[in-house]
This record gives sequence, C-alpha cells and structure tokens, in this order.
Amino acid sequence: MTSTQPANPTLHILNKPPGHPRFETCLQAIQDCDQLVLTENAVLALADRSVTLPAACKAMKADVDARALNEQTRTGTIDYAELVRLTAKHSRIISW
Amino acid sequence: MSTLIIVDQPPYGTWAGREALDMVFSLAAFDQPAALLFTGAGVNWLRKQQAPDAIGQKSVEKNLSAAPMFGVEEILADTASCERFGLGPEQLVSGVTLAENLQDVMNAHSNVAFAG
Amino acid sequence: MTPLSYTLVITGAPWSSQAPQSALAFARELLVAGHRIDRVFLYGEGVLLASALATPPSDEVNWPKQWAGFLADNAIPATVCIASALRRGIIDDTEQARYELPGNNLLEPFGIAGLGEWVEGNVKSDRVIYFHGSN
Repeated sequence: MTSTQPANPTLHILNKPPGHPRFETCLQAIQDCDQLVLTENAVLALADRSVTLPAACKAMKADVDARALNEQTRTGTIDYAELVRLTAKHSRIISW
Repeated sequence: MSTLIIVDQPPYGTWAGREALDMVFSLAAFDQPAALLFTGAGVNWLRKQQAPDAIGQKSVEKNLSAAPMFGVEEILADTASCERFGLGPEQLVSGVTLAENLQDVMNAHSNVAFAG
Repeated sequence: MTPLSYTLVITGAPWSSQAPQSALAFARELLVAGHRIDRVFLYGEGVLLASALATPPSDEVNWPKQWAGFLADNAIPATVCIASALRRGIIDDTEQARYELPGNNLLEPFGIAGLGEWVEGNVKSDRVIYFHGSN
C-alpha cells in the first residue's frame, strides 16, 4: 500500500523509557524527514545498547544531566530554548 | 484539520482509554473531524461482550457503538495488534475498521494525540 | 521569527510524573522566545497539579505553587477539565455547593471547565503540546 498523504515533517517528543510499548511504537512511526526529541525517561535510550535511534535525534540536556548520562554521546543535547524553536518550526507535533 | 486520538493502554487498568473517548466525543460535539485509533494493548477495548460489573466499572461497548451517531468519523484498530491479542473480525465490536499501516493512518490526520 | 500561540495540555500528575516540571520549563522558554500561551489545560491525572492542598516537605519544590505563580505573573488562563477533576477530588466552591461537599481545594488561578476549552485550543492555537506521564 502506498502512502495516502505526502509526508509532513513531524516533531516527535518522546518521554517513555526504552521497553515501554509507546517507545517502540514511536520509533516505528518516525519517517525519514522527521525529528525526534528524547525527554524525561526516554533519555535512557542513550545508554541502552539494544536501541537504534534515528539520525535526526536530540536529547534534553537537563534530563541527560539528571541521569548522569552526559558521557553518552549517541545524540546531541538541546535545552528548552532549542525545544521551543523546534516546536515553532514544525507545524505537526506528536507527544508520545 | 482532523484529529486522531490514539488509545494504546489496555482497558480497565487505567482511565486513559475512557478519557481518550471523552476527547474524541468532545471534538465531534464541536463539529471537529475526529477519529480513534486503537493499537497495542489498547485494542482490547474493542473485544465484544466485556462484562466489567464485578470490577465496578462500566463497559464502553455502547459508547463505542454510538460513536458514529455522535459524529466520530472512524474507529480504527491496528491489524497487527488485533492479531497479537487474538482478536478476529468476529470478536470485534461493530463499526471498527482494521488499519494495516499506522504511518498512513497518522499521516491522514493533521493532529495526533494521546489522552495520557 | 513569527510569534506563535500555544495551548499546553498536562496529563501527568506531580509526584507520579515529570510532566508538570517539563511543561513549566517549556512554558517559561516559550515566553522568553516571545510566543504566547493561550491556555494551559489540565486533563486526566494532570488535574492533581491544581490541588491547593499538596504539601511536599519544605525542602522540595511545590509544583502546584510554582505553576500557580507562573500563571498569575503572566496572566495565562488555566483550566482544569471538570470530569477529570471531580473524579479525582479537585473541587471549586461552585462544585462544592452543587454536590454538598465538605470542602474545596482548587488552587487559584486555575478554573474548572469542560473539554470544550481544549477543543478551542485545538482550533485556535498554532500549536498544542502535550505533557504526559512517562510510566
């Protein structure tokens, strides 16, 4: 089946930890043009070797620092000002 | 502009599924295009003949079957999730459309949201 | 950059999720960036953020108070969903009288209203951002 609509770049904001059903569904739903931001418990994905993250992925610095994951460099980190910029840039946003 | 509300939590253990239904009925009441998608363990909301009296809850079966009358455009269920939980078409409450591809369903709506 | 209007929906409760904290950090940056917050809408478990009776130990942040201060300082409308709130014991004086309850606990400046205000946010705001629990 071909896609019914043209892909609209989507910002995915994910706060569930790896292993949570919604974490898995979110990763499956991400398309090539989309941006993923890991927040809260989802930043544990940086330490989880079983997780493959998409290329366009950032993690919230405050949540990474809180969990002592700053040695994990699988993704870049962003602050809330940058998250605001990303939400302004994307007209389509899904909070998982 | 249309809104897709996704239910991925199983029935009765939390209120999130009911609160998702309230959201979609509210959109419909204000003439906003709205659809429901059940996926993951959420598809268990769609099993026929639920009898939650003994756990002190109400079945949502009637609410779901009334959804089209209230203007809810579509009730969709993820096919793979239905298969996983052994839900054949004959076990599903009426009025549910099976969806093969979650990405297509989500792309067909301008807003996608969860109740909790 | 064009300023945008936002509706923020919080469905995660304080002390069982990080949602109120993340939403507050985001909301503060929205205003710094020159955007407008049309409304903050509390839904589901999120209504517990509007309890005036939450009393954490004095060395912990009181999230309801922090939110109430932010909303009042910036004159941002904030609504608690009535169905979610009544179920979970978040009550204003009107509902106290209607149901003849022994007290009320809705924290100012939150108000109680229906999902219609969320629908309005969906229609009118440029962006609707959800802050869910993460369990």
